[in-house]
Amino acid sequence: MADRVILTIGTKKGVFVADGAKPRRRFTLRGPFGPGVPVYSTLIDTRGTPRLYASSCNPFFGMKLLRSTDMGNSFKETKSAPAFPEEDGRALANIWSLEAGRGKKDLWCGVEPASLFRSHDGGDSWELVPGISNHDHARKWQPGNGGLCMHTIIRDGNRVHLGISTGGHYLSEDGGETFRPSNQGVGAGFAPDPYPEFGQCVHKIARHDDAPGRLYMQNHGGWADWTGPGGPRPDIGVLRSDDYGHSWRSIAKGLPSDFGFPIVVHPHDADTVYVMPLEPATRSCPGGAPAVWRSESGGESWSRLARGLPKKQTYFTVLRDAMDIDRLQAPALYFGTTTGQLWIGREGGEQWDCLFDSLPPIHNVKVGVV
Amino acid sequence: MGPTPTITIHVPGTLRTYCAGAAQLSISAYTVRGALEELHRSQSALYRNVCDETGKVRRHLNVFVNSDNVRDLDGVDTRLTLGDVVTILPAVSGG
Repeated sequence: MADRVILTIGTKKGVFVADGAKPRRRFTLRGPFGPGVPVYSTLIDTRGTPRLYASSCNPFFGMKLLRSTDMGNSFKETKSAPAFPEEDGRALANIWSLEAGRGKKDLWCGVEPASLFRSHDGGDSWELVPGISNHDHARKWQPGNGGLCMHTIIRDGNRVHLGISTGGHYLSEDGGETFRPSNQGVGAGFAPDPYPEFGQCVHKIARHDDAPGRLYMQNHGGWADWTGPGGPRPDIGVLRSDDYGHSWRSIAKGLPSDFGFPIVVHPHDADTVYVMPLEPATRSCPGGAPAVWRSESGGESWSRLARGLPKKQTYFTVLRDAMDIDRLQAPALYFGTTTGQLWIGREGGEQWDCLFDSLPPIHNVKVGVV
Repeated sequence: MGPTPTITIHVPGTLRTYCAGAAQLSISAYTVRGALEELHRSQSALYRNVCDETGKVRRHLNVFVNSDNVRDLDGVDTRLTLGDVVTILPAVSGG
């Protein structure tokens, strides 16, 4: 019976693991593992014996994948990490996403420059997924501020949704063999054409098993006042699809900003979705007062959740993979900040407490119940 | 061209785990490129830390022949002579 809550915290200086009993009153911290090396993605794989994974993105010596089979007491490098074939001409610059695949040992991995890799042996060997990595568009995508990264991989039966910054949303409906851009209604603010076929700066995509066809997207918003070619683009930052990502519509009305990075769905209610609106210029919460915003109506309206969070003079950023929610009956939200704080939002974000105050800058937070 | 010169590669501490703990490797090569190719053949795990998939020395690494950065010589085509010491070092970083 699952009775521990475990957090993987990817930071600028390695990965930390925190775990606590189900009441989540306190957590014990271990790490850093892969010390001194940035970690941008982690995965808590609860299929069978739990395994923890962390990308170890060494700017000097290249990319590694770390794996723990003892609940995060120790990590070892897998036998290999994703790498482009020699004749490809591209070199791996970062590992941005790790997701479980269909088979018990299947893993998917999104990287920079935006490409997809797949492993059938728990990360010991990797193969390039050509349908997206060698897509006709792949050499036309442009890097965003964080690089040209494939940060979101969502599997839904034979569908695979990918989020690429800046490539947009790509959809496969044949298990990942072929992909096509699927960005109708997804705006871009940094190009003359406000609704291009591809090239949007998608920040994160989320879905829920109980709402087939529905997806939520945090896109690069903040273009309401744009006065250049194509005119202003209000509310393009928070979107919803109800047709498996074929088309998208704005659900940003009611938010203080449509710019942000993470988007998270409640584990037991597909209508409840969380974002953290940020001012586009500073990448911090409006007025220096952090808050998570929750919709309980699939994006029709929003409410502010800030009890326990600082009320002023706080300018951290919460990055795209730095917010998650556990699957307990009364789930807790967790987010990590670029200033090294890890926060827990108990009762679905109603009450916030700082679990750890002085970690390195946090890139990634994942939670599992094991 | 005479016999292939034997040179020494000095391995930084952080990379020794990829070559069974060796601090130095003895290799025969005419050039730095040849030395890296030999690393590719005989020490593939170590090689992957030094060169990326395209075969280029990773961007934030410096390769020295004796006391000279190959950047100031002929790059990876720098010729090697008997007894040379090739040192691989991460670029200085701070902050």
